[in-house]
Amino acid sequence: MILRRRAGRSATLAAALASTLVLAACGSTADTPADTAAGAGGVKTDKGVTDTTITLGIMGDTSGVFKNLGAAINAGNQLWADDVNAAGGICDRTIQLEVVDHGYKADTAKTLYPQLEPKILGIVQLLGSPVLAALKQNLIDDNVTAAPASWSSEILNNPNIMMIGTTYDLEVINGLAYLQQEGLLADGATIGHIYIDGEYGGNGLKGSKYYADKHGMTVKEAKITSTDTDLTNIVTGLRGDGVTAIVLTTTPGQTASALAANQALGLNVPVLGNNPTFDPALLQSPAAGALGNLYVAASSPPFSSQTPKAAAVAKAYKEAYPGAPLNAGTNVGYVEGLVWQNVLTKACENGDMTRAGIQTALTSLTAVDTEDLVGELDYSSPGAPPTRGVYIAKVDPAAEGGVTEVATVFTAPEAESYKAPFQEG
Amino acid sequence: MSEVVSEKVGSPPAAPPAEPRATASRPRRNRIKIAATAVLVLFLVLLPILVGSEVAYLKVAQYILIGAVGGIGLTLLVGQAGQLSLAHPFFLLVGAVSYAVLAGDPEESDDLVGLGLPPLLALVGAIVICGLIGLAFAPVAGRLRGIYLGVASLSLVFLGLWLGQSLEAFTGGTSSGRTPPTFELFGFPFSNAEPSPTLFGVAIEKQQRLWYLFLVLAAISYLLARGAVNSRIGRSWRAVRDNEAAATAMGVNVTRVKAGAFVISSAFAGLAGVMTALWLDLVKPDENEFTGSYSLTVSIAFLAIVIIGGLGSVPGAVVGAAVVFGLQQFFLLGANEFGWFADAEFGGLNAVVLSAFVYGAAVVLVVLFEPGGAAAVGRRLVARLSPSDIPSAPRGGRSTPGSEPERNDDDPTA
Amino acid sequence: MDLATFVQLFVNGLGKGAVYALLALGFVIIFKATEVVNFAHGSLVLVGGYVVYALKDTLGWPAAALVGIVSAALAGLILERGLLANARSADHNSLALLTIGVDVIITEEIVRRVGADIPFIGDPYDSQPIQLAGVTIFRTQAIALVVGAVLITAFFLAFRFSNWGVAMRAQAENKEAAALMGIRSSRVTATAWLVAGALAGVAVLFMATQDFSGAGLGRGTHAIALIAFPAAILGGLDSTAGAIVGGLIVGVTEALTSANVDFLPFLGPEFSKSAVFLVMLVVLVIRPSGLFGTKELSRV
Repeated sequence: MILRRRAGRSATLAAALASTLVLAACGSTADTPADTAAGAGGVKTDKGVTDTTITLGIMGDTSGVFKNLGAAINAGNQLWADDVNAAGGICDRTIQLEVVDHGYKADTAKTLYPQLEPKILGIVQLLGSPVLAALKQNLIDDNVTAAPASWSSEILNNPNIMMIGTTYDLEVINGLAYLQQEGLLADGATIGHIYIDGEYGGNGLKGSKYYADKHGMTVKEAKITSTDTDLTNIVTGLRGDGVTAIVLTTTPGQTASALAANQALGLNVPVLGNNPTFDPALLQSPAAGALGNLYVAASSPPFSSQTPKAAAVAKAYKEAYPGAPLNAGTNVGYVEGLVWQNVLTKACENGDMTRAGIQTALTSLTAVDTEDLVGELDYSSPGAPPTRGVYIAKVDPAAEGGVTEVATVFTAPEAESYKAPFQEG
Repeated sequence: MSEVVSEKVGSPPAAPPAEPRATASRPRRNRIKIAATAVLVLFLVLLPILVGSEVAYLKVAQYILIGAVGGIGLTLLVGQAGQLSLAHPFFLLVGAVSYAVLAGDPEESDDLVGLGLPPLLALVGAIVICGLIGLAFAPVAGRLRGIYLGVASLSLVFLGLWLGQSLEAFTGGTSSGRTPPTFELFGFPFSNAEPSPTLFGVAIEKQQRLWYLFLVLAAISYLLARGAVNSRIGRSWRAVRDNEAAATAMGVNVTRVKAGAFVISSAFAGLAGVMTALWLDLVKPDENEFTGSYSLTVSIAFLAIVIIGGLGSVPGAVVGAAVVFGLQQFFLLGANEFGWFADAEFGGLNAVVLSAFVYGAAVVLVVLFEPGGAAAVGRRLVARLSPSDIPSAPRGGRSTPGSEPERNDDDPTA
Repeated sequence: MDLATFVQLFVNGLGKGAVYALLALGFVIIFKATEVVNFAHGSLVLVGGYVVYALKDTLGWPAAALVGIVSAALAGLILERGLLANARSADHNSLALLTIGVDVIITEEIVRRVGADIPFIGDPYDSQPIQLAGVTIFRTQAIALVVGAVLITAFFLAFRFSNWGVAMRAQAENKEAAALMGIRSSRVTATAWLVAGALAGVAVLFMATQDFSGAGLGRGTHAIALIAFPAAILGGLDSTAGAIVGGLIVGVTEALTSANVDFLPFLGPEFSKSAVFLVMLVVLVIRPSGLFGTKELSRV
């Protein structure tokens, strides 16, 4: 693990379990959760907070399909925690991170969660739509607030979700608006949208349908799954449909295949992807020569961004993790921490650092400033994405992280008027 | 690894209680058997207290029972009836979805079908539906043999993948899936509903309640399967497996016996599916065919359970489930608790890889050195413990008249 | 679907079908010689690919490719000599199960070794499409088709005229009689695994490319080998000609159903994968031993 691990007190217990049949009478009694108590500084606490520490969980992916991105997000979380602790912590307590790796598997996460839950106040990073779907009820039951590294507006009906940045549907709406603004797309056009079946792709598709509807466009949908790798036949079909742009909510490998086919088949239309569609590793693949048509719309800035805070985070990352892959994950992880910092500080002011207190603090925040790592966040209306702006980047082999920023916190009028699935009013 | 395996095998009358058979000529063996069974039952019943607040271990144990129920169903089909099937995950999916649909609250959502039946009825209904679908596949299965049947059954997994994604009104879609209704038994909910009774200071909440539910379901499955194996049904399965032509000559209706085996095996898989839904708290069709709760990986895992346990052995399937389903979850827990595989960051040895090595190697070793699997190891161990026995002696009521002593491949102590 | 799209899809499918045929032929050769279905074929593919990946920077691509093919062939041989041949007591169904265990281990190990790299190994021809009369021909597929045709022809000639071919056909026909005629069963069997491994080693050179699969060497490569399963079964597990036909059917079916063109979207995303298996199922129900397979007689 990149991150610190703490060998737990329960080493003995599990050793005992390993020799199941010998175990007999040496079980531990239940350490029932400490009742709500007033701790140091007169702050109310329940789980995950002691007089000197605040423990937050990370449920990340460092061994599954998003391991490159996942490792960078974990690192971003850790960089944030180090910064906070160096500055004296929050509420006179230091931040500790408890890391688990679920490998992007829902069943694994389901087993690891009950082990993690009693130790933590909340979750600073919960990666993966399938994992989130599986844990949805647990988060509600235990009142655990979680910042997901997964940005679908379909999950905003869960009050325990602390969305950081904007959602996939809005990324696509803004991205298409940007393409049209640049003259790459016209009203009445036919566009193709290749999407992974699931929360991630489906939510992106909502965005392109909304935008197409506003501009008299037709969307040709092509649904795929996360392990499909060869999109040649699908792009062949889209060519037959006469599309003038392609939207992707796919994995990086699928992005490469779509772009390679786009070029090989002589289609050569602009392609829009959102945050997870691009990985700098693609620049080393045989498809490298075909990536030029790709625009990436994401709620956090690319690794090479000149936004001051992003540049500072990038610098710290390269120093702390030399040789580790450079991608947008670092900023994602850092900003998750920053939002938690705002919530924790508010909860401390309120004198209530219980899980319920975190909820109260979160919904009272209307203007969280993350130094432009994402747009200004408003958590006062549950169901609505807290911010609507995106960064637009274009593939650039010369840039660190493989993309160059072409527009900062870009918010299209269509993005302002869009109503998310669980948005009220 | 050998440590773990031999340790499991060391308690051959595996997991749920095997009924002690009274055979007056073997007081010593019976004493051992009864004592071992009693210790095991006690251990299983007290498990929630032993693990205390470390509920994650209870989740691992629950998961093993899912593997055991599914594995028992498959070992009957593959081991006893000789029908190779890789379609098990499909029936798990059907079971999970059927439960969610039958018990689902009709008011829950406009997009989801829910019939609002009581959960117990829904559980039974899901099992029946799986049995019927197994019956529907039987004519196809009846035409095919051996490896052809195995590969043909793979198409059901792909069919499940496709239908799971297409029939969103039933499955909830791959996007978010749907939440299976809480199981209830005569008004007693298997959830965290207050007040929780306590047992030796441990609150009996959702996970503890689920453990006891699973334990009962697994025990019923185990006893039913043992009963089937030792009855006429079991003999007809083995007759068909060993020689179809001879079975026909002996008056066995081969087509019906094969279909019956498929129905029963599918029903077990359906129950395992309902348990999976309750375990995950989620019914969600897979996004792809290689990872997920109902994928090809699960096909292979179930087959490994059956091979490791010994083809056709019911207790063996339980041991196999502990090896295949248990180890991976256990390694994952270890990885996170004690930092095992700590340098596994980029392409190192991690829990998933290690457990695959262990069960892959176990499959290879079993075929090479002990085709009878854990069941055969158990048989030999027991024989050694009670030297007075002549291992090959026929046992009362167990041998077919006029034939050589029959072994049903099932009882490790037989 | 317009004609241009149909032609393009057909061409895409044909090129892939050639590779599926190579893989299916591997299954068939082993099955004919030993009646064992080799579930570890996918991991032989990975072994070959991994060696190419590991060596191509030092040896250069052509030499690395050659070593890769040899390695896959040797892996097949070692698997047979080291494991299967030592499990004499086990029947061919148990041996098939044994190969599953081997497959799980090799696959996990190689997937772990290539790690996050997912290397592409078709350097000389990958991503260099050829335009021909309005149709795009992917160079990888074109070369695969030619290489496949040459190898398959060579195989058929060897099968018909060489001593090994005669011995193998005799063994497939009747093992005991062949042994009585002085044919050394172990040698025939070992050669079959060697040849099947080599074919897997050749196939992977085309599989782990942008053109063919859109993905480098990894779990996905292993998955493609599984698609060759229906190809082999469709044609009939003991028919070499069937493997070729099966491979082409699978390639074209997959291409036509995965394009998501106007009349298909209602079938949903997974239909192209299911389609291949459903076609196989239909064939099996009509002909339980595949299109060209030999009917099994039940003897009393």
